[in-house]
Amino acid sequence: MFDAPGSSSTTASPRTAASDSLDPERAAAELAEALAGPGLGFVLFFCSADYPLAALGEALERAFAPVPLAGCTTAGEITPAGYGRGCIVAIGFDRDDFAIGCARVADLEAFALPQAQRLVDGLLADCRRRAPDAEARPFVLTLLDGLSSSEEQVLSTLEAALGGIPSFGGSAGDDNRLSHTHVYAEGGFHDASAVVVMIASRRPFEVFTTHHLRPRREKLVVTAVDRERRRVLELNAAPAAEEYARLVGRPVAALDDGVFARHPLAVRIGEDHYVRSIQRVDDDGGLRFYCAVENGIVLTAMQPAPMLEELAGVLDGLGRRLGPPALILGCDCFLRRLELEALGRVEDASRLLAEARVVGFNTYGEQHQGRHINQTFTGVAIGSRG
Amino acid sequence: MDLGAERPDIEPVTERERALAEENARLRRICGALIERVESAGMADGAPYGAFEHAVLLAEQVRERTDSLHRTLEALEEARAEAEAANRSKTRFLAAVSHDLLQPLNAARLFASALEDQALPEAAARQVGHIGRSLRDVESLLGTLVDISRLDAGVLTPDIAAFPVAELLDVIAEEFRQLAGARGLEFRYVPSEAVVRSDLALLARVVRNFLTNAVRYTERGRLLLGCRRRPDGLEILVGDTGPGIDEAQQQAIFLEFRRAVTEPAEADRGLGLGLAIVDRIATMLDHPLHLASRPGRGALFSIRVPYGRRIETPPAEAPPGMHDLSGARIWVLDDDPAILEGMAALLEGWGCRVRCAATPASLEAVSRRERADLLLVDYHLAPGGPDGLSVADRLRRWHPGLGVVVITASHDGELKQRARERGYDCLLKPVKPLRLRLLIANRLEAGSA
Repeated sequence: MFDAPGSSSTTASPRTAASDSLDPERAAAELAEALAGPGLGFVLFFCSADYPLAALGEALERAFAPVPLAGCTTAGEITPAGYGRGCIVAIGFDRDDFAIGCARVADLEAFALPQAQRLVDGLLADCRRRAPDAEARPFVLTLLDGLSSSEEQVLSTLEAALGGIPSFGGSAGDDNRLSHTHVYAEGGFHDASAVVVMIASRRPFEVFTTHHLRPRREKLVVTAVDRERRRVLELNAAPAAEEYARLVGRPVAALDDGVFARHPLAVRIGEDHYVRSIQRVDDDGGLRFYCAVENGIVLTAMQPAPMLEELAGVLDGLGRRLGPPALILGCDCFLRRLELEALGRVEDASRLLAEARVVGFNTYGEQHQGRHINQTFTGVAIGSRG
Repeated sequence: MDLGAERPDIEPVTERERALAEENARLRRICGALIERVESAGMADGAPYGAFEHAVLLAEQVRERTDSLHRTLEALEEARAEAEAANRSKTRFLAAVSHDLLQPLNAARLFASALEDQALPEAAARQVGHIGRSLRDVESLLGTLVDISRLDAGVLTPDIAAFPVAELLDVIAEEFRQLAGARGLEFRYVPSEAVVRSDLALLARVVRNFLTNAVRYTERGRLLLGCRRRPDGLEILVGDTGPGIDEAQQQAIFLEFRRAVTEPAEADRGLGLGLAIVDRIATMLDHPLHLASRPGRGALFSIRVPYGRRIETPPAEAPPGMHDLSGARIWVLDDDPAILEGMAALLEGWGCRVRCAATPASLEAVSRRERADLLLVDYHLAPGGPDGLSVADRLRRWHPGLGVVVITASHDGELKQRARERGYDCLLKPVKPLRLRLLIANRLEAGSA
């Protein structure tokens, strides 16, 4: 069990807990011991894809029934004590403070506006029925299968139905194996699915996103793509991997996650740069991305600024606006964690995250107000008092 | 230049030319990709990147609108806070001023009443009468102002109870029969046996305001006071044969400082606040108001009051002149010496034996040696000490038969409630001598019975 420094995880709501036991039964029991109680209304969890998922799901259902659960697999966890790996972290929401509705999108391809509208209407009705009071305002957490390649359309459609309701989320991960990512809802793990959780509370909250990457001078134009598989075949009319390797001054064979993390590419829209993260080099010399690509888009080379200093500034600002947060639910791109590991600053990061009461997971992509984004820290900060 | 051309126009020969041609070809490809992108931008073709771009633009629009909405809301909030602060300070000011004015006014009324009871030369007696009436007018205006500010500030809490409506209307009818008669108007009152649930004092204010207006604006003809039983409540009606009110004006007359067009020739002292108060009280009590009028034919004002369950009616009171207060032993506790003096003059004029005290301690000293029939105590005593209720509670421990009348300037329903629970009476400042006399008489009867 991890214990957050200085946190009284038994009395405050939402409560948080983590277990590093690899045995599903024990992990579920440990979480239940920390979170269960008569007031518990909903549990969110994020777990390593290393768990035997079917057994873990059953154990969690047994431990928490009839309280509903939602969650996903990760590329690393953020526990109450900072970064974890190969473990499970969970958040328990009290019924009195939070009215929560949850739904699964089982068919991402067929998710069009009418389905989205029905889903949002249903969630709003659920929240209203459970709402502790009329002043509760909602926000939405989305958890997507990170290898489904349909984040953009699903998010854009959902956003249209959500209207002005703030939303954010993360894409499920699997510890950089890129083979099986899952979301959890309706009592089981699913792939090619999305989970939409609506949380209504009278507590103050703020949905936010931040990154520490700054534009450089160099531009790369995408001149050939394989849209369906998010592959860029050519950059500046040259094989994509070669051109990218030239930009970063490395041989193609040396391109790996660490290089992608330190030398990201971004599209600029208006004043803002949106990183489009590279997933891997394909055998044909193309680059596979974590997000949608298109012929003719202009990619700007980016360089990192000090990450933790930037994050600390953002967390400070949240604390100033909301008062000391009871919880920050964070979706943290796994590439950021890779960069911290390369810089040897994981412990500093853990300290910062724990002090700010961040709990969450490392993602294969984040979501913010209907946008699928990469290499960011995106989440919601929930204030202590209503 | 043909941007679409695949190959350069010239055949490269040298190494340098070949390199340039190569670069040229790549630039054409880049150019082609950019052209494709530019030309398909903004197309809602459902392509994934297009969906992302669309979401970004949408989020940006939402952000801009949210920002401008926030700015507008902040400005509104600021304006609202300023207005509220101004309103609070107005209410505080009015409350403070009225409290300060009520104290000396109270004393003046007591002195004037004491004077009226003395045998005076006729001219002097008439002047004393004028003084008394002027003081009553000042008091009523002041009361109206205070009520408006209290109603606006939401500090006036209704004291809801069931009572026979006749208890309220009989008295008012008598009052206005004389007033109407003095103006040569016929006055018709139809009594009702219905029991209603309301705040008696506030409802009285509404009916009085209706009647005051009717008397003021009706030059000839008649006034009517009566009730109509409706399924959802008793409608108390006041009708007149005055000039009536235009449909266009029927809403406006419920605002402050508005009067119907036809000003009576003679001077009137009203501030034009009457119907504004009626509207506020009706809103607070949740009693619907109704106005029916045809210009030139008269007006019919009404208020609908929910029915209540009949409670035991107290025995009918004898007319005030019949009560003999002589010999009644009365203690008066008030920290204002002018009030004590005025009260003593008034009570002694009625033949009572009065003990005045300015502090609880001195009254308690008296209470060890003497007995009394009744205690008149101001609720707000010197700050830091006990309030009137707790002083009364203590004295009652030694003198269980002592009647208690708590006098207060506060319209607080809770205080009335607390006094009632203990079996005490409550009188509002400024103390009206007639009501005080009735109350003392009732108390003495109850004590001796």
